[in-house]
Formats: sequence, structure tokens, C-alpha cells
Amino acid sequence: MRKSRRKKFALLGLYFLATVVLLLMISPYLYMLLQSLAPWREVDRVFIPSSLSLHSYRWLLGGGLSTLPRPWLRAWGNTALVATTVTLSRVLVGALVGYALAVLSFRGRRTIQNFILFHMFYPGIILLVPTFLLVRAMGLYDTYLAMILPGLVSTWAIFMYANFFRSIPKEVVEAARMDGAGELRIIFQIMIPLARPVTAIVFLFLFMERWIELLWDMIVVRDPAKQTLNVLLATMFGPYGGYAGPLYAAGVLLTFPILVLFLLFSRRFVSGVSLIISS
Amino acid sequence: MRGLRTVFVGLLALGLVAVAQVEITFWSAPNPSQEVFWRQMAEAYMATHPGVKINVSPMPETPTSEAGILAAIAGGVAPTASENVFVGFGSELVKSKAIVPWNAFPEWEELVRARNLSSTIKAWEFPDGNYYIIPMYVNAMLVAWRIDILRELGYEKPPRTYSEVLALGERLKAKYPDKFLWLRSELEVPTWWQRWFDFFVFYYAASKGQPLITGNTITADDKAAIEVLQFFKTLRDKKLLITEPLATGFEVGKTVMTVLGPWSFPWWRENYPELVYGETFVLTPPPVPDWYPAEEPIYTFADAKGVVMYAQATAEQQKAMWDFIRWVLSDPEHDLAWVKITGMLPARDDVGTNPLFTAYIEEKEPALLPYAENIAFAVPPIAHPQFVEIQELMGLECIYPVLIGELTPAEGWEAWKAAIEDLLK
Amino acid sequence: MKRQKELGGWLLASPYLLSAIVFFLIPLGWSLSLVFFDWNLISPTRTYVGLGNFREALTSTRVYNAFVNTYKFMAIIVPGVLASSLCLALIVQHLPRLKQFYAVGFFLPYLASGVAIGLVVRGLLSYDSPLNEFLRQVFGSSPRWLRDPLWATLVISFMIVWKFSGYYSLIFLAGLQGIPRELYEAAALDGAGPFTQFRKITLPLLYPAFYTVLVLAVGLCFAIFTEPYVLTGGGPRFATHTWQLEIYYQAFERFRAGYGATVAVLNAVATFVSILLIRRAVESWGAKRGFR
Repeated sequence: MRKSRRKKFALLGLYFLATVVLLLMISPYLYMLLQSLAPWREVDRVFIPSSLSLHSYRWLLGGGLSTLPRPWLRAWGNTALVATTVTLSRVLVGALVGYALAVLSFRGRRTIQNFILFHMFYPGIILLVPTFLLVRAMGLYDTYLAMILPGLVSTWAIFMYANFFRSIPKEVVEAARMDGAGELRIIFQIMIPLARPVTAIVFLFLFMERWIELLWDMIVVRDPAKQTLNVLLATMFGPYGGYAGPLYAAGVLLTFPILVLFLLFSRRFVSGVSLIISS
Repeated sequence: MRGLRTVFVGLLALGLVAVAQVEITFWSAPNPSQEVFWRQMAEAYMATHPGVKINVSPMPETPTSEAGILAAIAGGVAPTASENVFVGFGSELVKSKAIVPWNAFPEWEELVRARNLSSTIKAWEFPDGNYYIIPMYVNAMLVAWRIDILRELGYEKPPRTYSEVLALGERLKAKYPDKFLWLRSELEVPTWWQRWFDFFVFYYAASKGQPLITGNTITADDKAAIEVLQFFKTLRDKKLLITEPLATGFEVGKTVMTVLGPWSFPWWRENYPELVYGETFVLTPPPVPDWYPAEEPIYTFADAKGVVMYAQATAEQQKAMWDFIRWVLSDPEHDLAWVKITGMLPARDDVGTNPLFTAYIEEKEPALLPYAENIAFAVPPIAHPQFVEIQELMGLECIYPVLIGELTPAEGWEAWKAAIEDLLK
Repeated sequence: MKRQKELGGWLLASPYLLSAIVFFLIPLGWSLSLVFFDWNLISPTRTYVGLGNFREALTSTRVYNAFVNTYKFMAIIVPGVLASSLCLALIVQHLPRLKQFYAVGFFLPYLASGVAIGLVVRGLLSYDSPLNEFLRQVFGSSPRWLRDPLWATLVISFMIVWKFSGYYSLIFLAGLQGIPRELYEAAALDGAGPFTQFRKITLPLLYPAFYTVLVLAVGLCFAIFTEPYVLTGGGPRFATHTWQLEIYYQAFERFRAGYGATVAVLNAVATFVSILLIRRAVESWGAKRGFR
């Protein structure tokens, strides 16, 4: 009797601890949300505002009268555009190339695999300046393509798909071939549907990563109309210093879509995490 | 038949106009009121000059407008012309051959006459004898005081010398321990252009306008500089100067002194209408050391910037832009619009005497009167092309160590001078 | 049939190959020559300087600070994140229900943009924030958070630990779940208490996870950019300056493409060598204790 009582208390205590820690972990998000809804006089002065106000959002989306008007909503759109395009491409190419490397056998496959490993582990920072120069030489400076083209392929995605496809028994593919299915049919109607857990993980991670990218987007685009929200927020960090409320609103616009996306797909995410760990 | 011919001719004309239309871009400063001014000018000009399309857009401002312009030049996407360039940046651009001299255009002398620039323009001549910048405005930086709070403390007018300021500070702290004299969190950050609005202002006041650097030599008044640094340190030690990050101070009465440029007025009108010149705040030149002669005028820093034309533009674009700029600057009514929209005074010899301006200022914007009066005592920025490093090092090697007590003001000042020795060669 | 397979393979791989040639090989080759030039992106000229860029970088205070700061951050972040992510994993592991809920919850910080969190931190640490008001009431003064070299480093380190703890806890979680229950039961039968069980069973068997998180955390310290960029600009006096900040500053604020590329190379070398040394050290430590 007593032992189970103690165990119950211990368990309750653990849940209490876990909840407290959880709240601490997500408290910056809560703070951001609360401050974005606070009346301006109270922003950053109190933890919980006395009343809720949409002034910050109205100001932000209306462009702000006397201080640097900026296209915040458009910037959000830019982020969505770039992140979606790039991630879809990375996932698709990842699946195709991963399939080719894992399932097909052709001359040079080994070389490509090794090359991909070399690429994956090559320090990207060295390529930063020359890639910028390349983009500039291609006449793409300050364009959407500059943000999209260099990132269309992800070696990590290829790696993940290749690993997964390798784990699929050869009989599956052979059976399909014997039924007369062409390569593309096999890929799109069998392999990719099978790879759903991988796709969920790969898409979520790559999308989130691209969504919060700062350095590259800041380097190649200077026109506020084309900038992503993350870059715009970073550039307005100083100048809007006295306008914290709208900045928090921009932060919410930037952060919450990803949070919601992850929470919606949390189940898929969790089931796929073991895949990442094992890789 | 006749109808068809008309249509055809009309289309042809449209086509010719479209082909003959020159497209030029102008970058306005990252200050919304300046953008408004240039847009208005562009629209008015395009209405009467159909062969030109002028795109006005605000220049990037991060990390600084200068860096934004350089980034555009580096990216090959520089505009045809822009404003917001001061002499130091101009010399950096000239060194990289990125801008063209305005005086190469035939109508240069005419413009100088039309806009009354003959005296003003002298300060803008570059070492090679050319004029690369047409000055748009000269803002003499002044110090604003919350006279409403000062009156509560028993002051009818603001202090003039350092001792008087410290005495005011004591009384302030006695009555309002939570208030500060001056909020200047940028003083501890080495951002180069922030020095214009703290150190330079006080230094030029204390040194009677002695230039810090002339050509490639340091010609600063050491005594004055050290005195200024000591003043900052004392203020900070007495908790009169707050250097922590704080969003607003002067506007909400948390501080009673601030360095102010006239561009703030449009913004105050909208967000802090309770700040009324003469009632809530007054303007004076910067405070000076105690030994400063009582009757002599006080100097200050001049935030002065102008318009440049970029070499990346084609000859056709340059000609079109030159015509536009000439049109804008030759009409005093346009300069009056400038005053009304941006709150700043245009760079003209007659800004204090021309009744067109004085009538407006006296009636609508009396706060601009002290600015007009002090233009003659305002010293422009450093013209050396390495201005970024020079001013950055001032914060890094001198001001920050002095403020935190690591170096004495004299040591800090010597440290700065030693640090920029190599740069100046 | 075989020919088709050959073609098929190459065809499918072609998007990658094309992208790799344009955006990997070309910049790679370019970087090899860039470092030997003094190339100002504004001027039309470019001068050959041989090893001049390297000489400048190796004697530069800014680069020196970036170099040292990496290890400064490492000293705080690596132990911090190892401890916190292990704790989080242990918590989740011992919860009979709602494991997924808490695991995902702990992971959420990883999804934030450093800029947005920087906003929150700046707000929380500004002079008249409720936190500082409280500190002043209780202790008489509030720390000069972002203006003091030590505090600024701590703040940024804390932000990074916060961001990655949940993510790394998943690695520990997978490791924990891989430990067979029988081991614990057998130890309990032998009379071992929970702490002994933890020391003798859990920790040793977590070695692979520990190793992974360690290497990830170390590598992470060489890539710190966003947090100091928005909060301190690398200050005060380069106390929070990092490699990537320096590269960004030189190449994209001073437009010195050649010198910026040089600093990038040095960054890569420092990262590679440091990770190699640390891995060797940890591996030999592990081997001595019989870990795999």
C-alpha cells in the first residue's frame, strides 16, 4: 500500500516537474505572443498585459505611419514561397536520387555515392563567398531565384531516402518489374508511398530549416519587397527598436506557423524520429 | 481609313515614347518623410516630362545606409542617383570610382546660382577640385531639454556649462531618483555613425569647432576632447547618464536632455503631440566646459548630406537624372516643400534670410529657428575615406574603456590616436 | 535492358549532379583562388596578394577573438546541453503516459528563428523590463546583461542550450530506449539503488548517444551567428564575436571577398581540427573505460 502511494506521489511529482520544464521551454513563445497583443505602453514592461490589443498587428500590417513602412505581410509570403519551393524540390530530388542510388545498379553509382558524402561533409562556410559571387555573376543578385536555385538539392535528403530505400526488400521492386512496371511507375506508385514516414520527417525538417534561414537570404537579397520575413525582422531589429510591439507581432507571424505545422504533424514526426536517430 | 490612320499614328507615337522613355532610379534616405518628398517631386516632374520614368524607393538601411549602397554597387544594381551621402562616404565612393562629378555637366554654375549655393558649396569641394555631392540639408545638431521638468526643478533656462549640468542633475536625482539626465545607450556600442550624435556634438562645442582630422593628420584639440570624455564619465558615474538599452527616454520624460535633429519633429508630431516647442522642450547648443568663454557662440556637429550620381548609370540615364535634379533644386518653392515635409532645413545660403522660408518657420515650425541660426557654427563630418574604422575605433579604444573605468580620459584619447595612426597614412 | 538501367540511374541522379556542379564544384574551385586575392567588390580592380590574406587573418585581433570565443562558448554550451538534454530525456523516459506530448513539447524551441528569440531576449533584458525591475528591487542593481562580456556570453550560450536541448534529448531518448529492461531488473535484484543503476548501467550504455551529442554540440559552436548578430553585434569589444560574424562582416559589410573567403577557410580548418582532436580524446577516454 505505502509503496504504491509513494510511487504515485513520485509520479505526480515527475509530471509536475515535466510540466514546469515544458512551460519554461516554451515560455519565450508565450512571451512573444503576449507582448504582441499588449497595449504599447505595457510592452516589455509587464509579463502579462492588463488588456489585449491588436494595435501592434494593425500597425505592422498597415505599414506603420511615420516609421519606416515595410511590407511585412509580403515578406511572410516571400518566406512561404521560398521555403515551400525549395523544400518540395529537395524532397523530390532526394527521393529520386535516393532511389537511383539504393535500388538501381549502374556504372558510376559508387562514385556518385562517395561524391555525395564528400559534398555532405564539405564545410559549407568556405563556399559562402564564392557562391555569392557566382550568383552575382549570373545576374541573379537581389532576385527570388538567388534564394531558391542554390538550395534546390539537399544531400541529407538523398542520404535519408537512400538509406530507407535500401531497407526495402528487393523482392518488392522485382515483383513490380515483373508485372511490367516502368521505373517511374515503381518510384511514384510504390516506393514513395512506402516512404511516407521519411518524407514527413525530411519535409518537416527541411521546411523548418529553410523557413528560419537568415545568413544566405540576407546576403543575396536587399530589396525589402523580396526579403524573407526572417531577414526583414533582422534588419528592422535596430531601427524598430522603439516599436517592440509590432516586432513581436512579426515574430509571431514568423514563428507560429512552424509551431502549428509541427504540432499538426507531431505524430508522423515522432514515428519518423527513430529513423533519423538510427541514421 | 482616316480612323485607322489615326490609330496607327497614335500607336506609333506611343511606341516611340515608350522606346524613347528613359528609366532612372532614385534612392531616398531611409526616412519616410524624405521618401514622400522625392516621390512628390518625381510625380510632378513626370507629369510635365513624359520621356522620363523616375522610380523613387527608400535605400536599404541595414547594417547602415552606406553599407546598403555599397552592397548595391557590389551587386551591380546601384540606382542612378541617391541622396543621404556625406563627404566621408563620398570620398570612399570617389576612391572606388563609383560616383561622377556634378560639375562636369554644363549647367552646373547655373544650378549653383539658382539654388543660392555659392557659399555653402565651398565646404563640399573635393580634393581633386570636383563637386561629387550636391548638399540637400545641413542639420546643426542641438540639445533638447525638457523645460517642463526643468521648471519643476527651479530652472527657467537650461544649463550651459558642465558644472551647471551636474548641478541640474543633482537636483533632478533629488526630486526624481528614477529619472536620468541623458539616455544614450549607443555610447557604449562602437557603431561608427552614432559618434556623430554624441561625442562629435560635445567635442565641437568644447573645441570651438576644431576639426578632428584634416587631410591625413589628426588636428584635434586634445584638451577639449579629454574634457568631453571626463564629462561623459562623470555623468555616468553619478548615474545621470544611462547607457543601458532603454527604448524611450526623453519623449516620456524619463530623461531631460537629448541630442536632437529636426527630423524628429514629424515623428513627434504624430506619436508625442504633447511635446511642444517652448512649452515642453527647448533647444540649445551643446553644453560646454566651465572654462568656455561666456559670451562666445558655441559650435556643434553638422549632419549634412546630399545627392550623388552613380557611375554605373548610362550616359542617357545620367543626363535624365541631371535634368530632374536641376529642376528640383532650382525652384525655392521645392525647398520650401522640403522644409514642410521633412522638417529639415535645405542647404542654401539664404535659408535664414529668404522671407519664403523665414515666414513659414516663424509661423509653423518655430523649433527650426535655432537650427537655422546655428548652421554657421556647425562642423561637417570627417571627410577621410576610412571614416568607418576611425569612428569605430573611437568607440572601441577610447569611449568604452573610459566609460567603464579601464582607462582615464587622457589615456583613452591617446589610445584612439595611436589606433588610427596606420589608417591615416 | 542494361543500357536503359545505366541511363535511368544517371538520369535520375542528374538534378543532383547539375546542382552539385554549379553550386558546389564551381564555388569550390573559385574559393581556391579567391583567398589569394585582395578583391574589393566595389572597385573594379583585384590585386594578387599571395598569402597576404592569411597573414592578415592570423594576426588580426578580430579573428583571434572569434577563434578563442568558440572555445569559450564550447566550455559553457557543451556541458550545458549535454546535461540538460540528458535530463529532458530521462524525464520523458520515466513518464508512463504522454511521452510523445512532452517530447514534442521539449523539441519546440528548435523550431524558432534566432531573430525572433533575440527579440524576446532583448525585451526581457532591457533596462526597464519586469525582470530587471525585480532584480533591482531585490538586489539593488541589475546586471548589464548585453554590455558585460561575461553576461553577454552567458546569455547567448543559454539561448543556444535552450534551443538544442529538446532536439538532442531525442538522441538520448533513443539511446535510453535501447537499454534492455532486464539489466535494470537484474541490478535491482542485486540490491542496486536507482542512482547506482544510473551510474553503472544507463550512463555507460548511453555512450554512443553521448558521443553523438558531444560532436554535434562542438560543431554547433563553430557556427554561431544569428544570436550575436542581432543582440550584441559581436560585442562588447568582440567578447561574443564568432567566425561566421567575422566572415559576414569582412565579405558582406566591408566587401572584401578575398579576405572573407580566407577567414572561411580558417574557420573550416579550425572546426575540422578541433572536432578531430575532441573525437580522439573522447574515443580514447571511452576505450579506457571499455565503451564502444
